[in-house]
Amino acid sequence: MFRFIAARLMQTVPVLFVVATLTFFMVRLVPGGPFDAERNVPPEIKRELEAYYGLDKPVFHQYLDYLGRLLHGDLGPSYKYANRSVNEMIAATFPVSLQLGGMALGLALIFGVTAGIIASLRPNSALDYTASSISMMGICLPTFVLGPLFILVFALNLRWVNASGWFDAADRILPAATLGIAYAASIARLTRGGMLEILNQDFIRTARAKGASSTRIILRHTLRGGLLPVVSYLGPAAAGILTGSFVIETIFQIPGLGRHFVTSAFNRDFTMVTGIVIFYAVLIVFFNLLVDIVQIWLNPKLKF
Amino acid sequence: MTQSPPITNAATTTAEPGASLWHDAWLRLRKNRLAIFGGAALIVISLFCLIGPACSPYTYEQQDFSQYAKAPSTQHWFGTDKLGRDQMTRIMHGGRISLGVGICATLVSLTIGVLYGALAGFIGGKTDATLMRIVDILYALPFTVFVILLMVVFGRNIVLLFAAIGAVEWLTMARIVRGQILTLKKQEFIEAAIALGLRKRRIILRHLIPNALGPIIVYTTLTIPAVMLLEAFLSFLGLGVQPPMSSWGTMIKDGAELMEEFPWLLVIPAAFFSLTLFSLNFLGDGLRDALDVRTSKD
Repeated sequence: MFRFIAARLMQTVPVLFVVATLTFFMVRLVPGGPFDAERNVPPEIKRELEAYYGLDKPVFHQYLDYLGRLLHGDLGPSYKYANRSVNEMIAATFPVSLQLGGMALGLALIFGVTAGIIASLRPNSALDYTASSISMMGICLPTFVLGPLFILVFALNLRWVNASGWFDAADRILPAATLGIAYAASIARLTRGGMLEILNQDFIRTARAKGASSTRIILRHTLRGGLLPVVSYLGPAAAGILTGSFVIETIFQIPGLGRHFVTSAFNRDFTMVTGIVIFYAVLIVFFNLLVDIVQIWLNPKLKF
Repeated sequence: MTQSPPITNAATTTAEPGASLWHDAWLRLRKNRLAIFGGAALIVISLFCLIGPACSPYTYEQQDFSQYAKAPSTQHWFGTDKLGRDQMTRIMHGGRISLGVGICATLVSLTIGVLYGALAGFIGGKTDATLMRIVDILYALPFTVFVILLMVVFGRNIVLLFAAIGAVEWLTMARIVRGQILTLKKQEFIEAAIALGLRKRRIILRHLIPNALGPIIVYTTLTIPAVMLLEAFLSFLGLGVQPPMSSWGTMIKDGAELMEEFPWLLVIPAAFFSLTLFSLNFLGDGLRDALDVRTSKD
């Protein structure tokens, strides 16, 4: 187990190196520098700016500087927000995104697993079909369709919540639900499939024959194996929620990292974009590591 | 994938009707009402988008300022947008872009995924391990972020849009094809092909890939909605299709900005988009059941 974790950690090093290199050079292929968008910048000031940010040095030199700073966890200064570093911007906006994403994933797990278990207990019943079709709808109504529709219905017509903002607890409900619903649907489908597979196995029949109550069979015997597909789905789900936050934060005007990333992409804020991409990559890689560990813990058949 | 796969030929020449894999699959698919509905809806939507503009009295850019943001009426069935353009015609054109990007990007991902997976599976050993390790690593990356980066770097060009989307959506296809090739490789007809001294290229393209066609078709059907979703997602953020072209994604974006006063500008494009995704997913699921593709592990 320890060796597995160590090996996986070692694997992240080349991944992150590749991500850093790719993003650094890709962003420098952009026609037009970060200061071109501002009008009427006199050439001398532009040169000063470029010297300040090290953009006058050869690209390879810039790259080495960048990697060196990266090793210390320093993502560099922002080109657009004077005197602010990428680290500061991430520190200021990420907690909001983390809260949104955490709530979405939490909602998805609670509703998805419950619906999946209920559907698996009566396969092919009306209830099962209802759960499946709702989950299919969740897959086909992406966040950018659902978000505006929810605002239209719940905020503008029914006036239950605010259409945008991130001030009180009620403001969190709509964005988190919009972001989480598709994942709740997928989790429900996966739970149903996983549960059905386990429920058909011999050891469940044995447990039944021994007179175990159905609650006990589900909670003690089936859930552990039945949730395995859900656990392996959590990695992609987290990545999806992360990218989904771009749209959600734009629609609901939430001051999180996702919206900030999109703005930076529009502003050609080189260091901000590369910094956030690397931050996201680290996040996803470590989350996947966590998922793998949980998977091994849940599934004694996997050995390392 | 330009040559006709031998399997289909076999299906047409079999003396006994109903004996071939494809005929069986069709019989199974026909019983799946949702899949048939999906297929039919897709045909209708595609025809609507392809033929529709020719039958429409309006063009997608024609503005009529007396008809500014009008609700659906007998004159404009889907209403008009804020510039007085007929929304139905715009939906047809948007559908062409959305479906077109979906199909083109899927072809890109299909080509990369099938070749990559087939190579990994056929060569096997260390090469296979390395290639699949790379896929595993790529799986772990937040790809949409990279597509956004690509769109920023290369200036939101539509050809690059589907190249970029295709280039990130091939991973699952590679895994599936590799798995198929691994099982096919051990069968006698491949041994025979190797014994006959056929070149590897020929074995892969003529013998292995056509026999893995079932799963490839299933996952292609399921890749198209994923790709369309990504395109609409980028367009919604303003990073995808650029004006004056519009896809369903950009129409949903524009509609969302005006939904308070003119809800039909959001609801109608959203309905078309979702119905298409719905149909493709149901058709894909139906095909998967009909062709009996194992789904437990990809």
